[in-house]
Amino acid sequence: MGTAIQNAAENPRVDEKESSRYPGALVVVEGIDGSGKSTQLYLLKRWLEIHGYRIHFTEWNSSPLVKSATRRGKQRKLLTPTTFSLLHAADFADRCERQILPLLHGGYLVLADRYIYTAFARDAARGCSPPWLRNLYSFAPVPDVTFYFRAPLDVAVNRIVAGRPKLKYYEAGMDLGISLDRAESFRIFQERILTNYDQMIESDKFVLMDGTIPVNRLQKLMRQIVSERVNLAQFAPKKK
Amino acid sequence: MTERLPDNASASNGQPHKRAKKRAEKPRAKPAEKPGAAAPATSRFYGTPMPGVSPEELSGSLIVIEGTDGSGRSTQISLLTEWLESEGFAVQTMGLRRSFLVGEDIDALLAENAVTRMTLALMYGTDFFDQLERRILPALRSGLVVLADRYIFTLIARSAVRGIGRDYLHGLYEMALRPDLTFWLDVKPEVAFDREFKKSHSISYWESGRDLSLSNDLFQSFIRYQSMVRKEFEYLSKRHEFVVVDGERSVAEVNGSLRKRIAQQLGIRGTHYHPSNALAHLWR
Repeated sequence: MGTAIQNAAENPRVDEKESSRYPGALVVVEGIDGSGKSTQLYLLKRWLEIHGYRIHFTEWNSSPLVKSATRRGKQRKLLTPTTFSLLHAADFADRCERQILPLLHGGYLVLADRYIYTAFARDAARGCSPPWLRNLYSFAPVPDVTFYFRAPLDVAVNRIVAGRPKLKYYEAGMDLGISLDRAESFRIFQERILTNYDQMIESDKFVLMDGTIPVNRLQKLMRQIVSERVNLAQFAPKKK
Repeated sequence: MTERLPDNASASNGQPHKRAKKRAEKPRAKPAEKPGAAAPATSRFYGTPMPGVSPEELSGSLIVIEGTDGSGRSTQISLLTEWLESEGFAVQTMGLRRSFLVGEDIDALLAENAVTRMTLALMYGTDFFDQLERRILPALRSGLVVLADRYIFTLIARSAVRGIGRDYLHGLYEMALRPDLTFWLDVKPEVAFDREFKKSHSISYWESGRDLSLSNDLFQSFIRYQSMVRKEFEYLSKRHEFVVVDGERSVAEVNGSLRKRIAQQLGIRGTHYHPSNALAHLWR
């Protein structure tokens, strides 16, 4: 079911000897902040969990091995576009090598809140070279389904700004020096990221999801697509 | 193209090189042209330059000393620093795991064995680029000589023997600065083992490549791992025009060879040097 390692022809595989096929499946959600992706993935996870499916949930920027470095870099504003990107790649590599890949080989359905496309969209908005980024993450398995949650910029930005007392420095893209006003900087930064996401819709086979549809209806749609694209029976609990 | 220095390179009799003399008259703005090189080094970067860096403003020189543990790198860098300073050159150094950003984090990762090869490769990459952006580029803009105690080549070789693709690794470091000179202090693994064991009376987990499960015997593991790394260096040496120096000779002899080649690069007329009392213990 899995198709592992990205665009083998263009991006040299990291380890040619390693098996590129596995019995598991990978479903990821992408989109700008406020697009509704995390809510939807949470509901998908609950649905599968409640029914006892073999699943694992993983989240962007959460590796315990790399966390302290990222936190220090962000707090003290030490990160440049390159080191920001590399630290997130190290974080992803740790989760990939110690969770995602072993679980895919072990026959799990892996759900990821943000994946390599986050780096492609966001780090490129910071000025990193897109081919360099593609190479950097070429060790990542290609998802079976990539949901791209898209909401109009104003809707997404208002959802975030309304709910948060203060936007963080890097989150708002303050390191780019676009604007001294955090809210304005955030908006322009998100707009650039949105443009970069949009450009990947076809090339990376995104499943476009309208983030303005009511939550329960969107979830129904998401479950239906997952059922069609992934052989869920394979991850179902064994009957006694 | 690989250039092997003669083993009897004089330690004190420095004949100024024709090209060096010419270069001494005007500040260096472009990298040295390497005669006979398959692909002339026309750019200071391997690929896309780092965002916001214009190569013309980098007036300093980047000199890299590569070699395994026990090859004498650190000793040579101490001596070269003193020599260059006595010649009036300001020196900045760099090395692995010395970045403020993640240097200590890598130490912590190495201390426990949870870390896997790709994570480690990318943490070293972060460490490298943090030093490049915060230490090396500012130093080169100010016209300093940067002496690098290891560079991307060690990082590439170590990851390559762990099965990460060479093309991947070269892509990762395409924004690295191309050194003006790269020395490889080549020593046989057996000699490196003797020197390392004398120094610390033990052999480290990572330097013997124990994560690769090559042998339960530490000596065998060390030799096999270092031989694999050395093979990668032989390949890199051709691709990146290393100056190969026989690192098994005495400290004074190796230092003489290095000074001769660096003098030529920087346009220093004489290469006479004898260490001060502070460094005399290194001169053996």
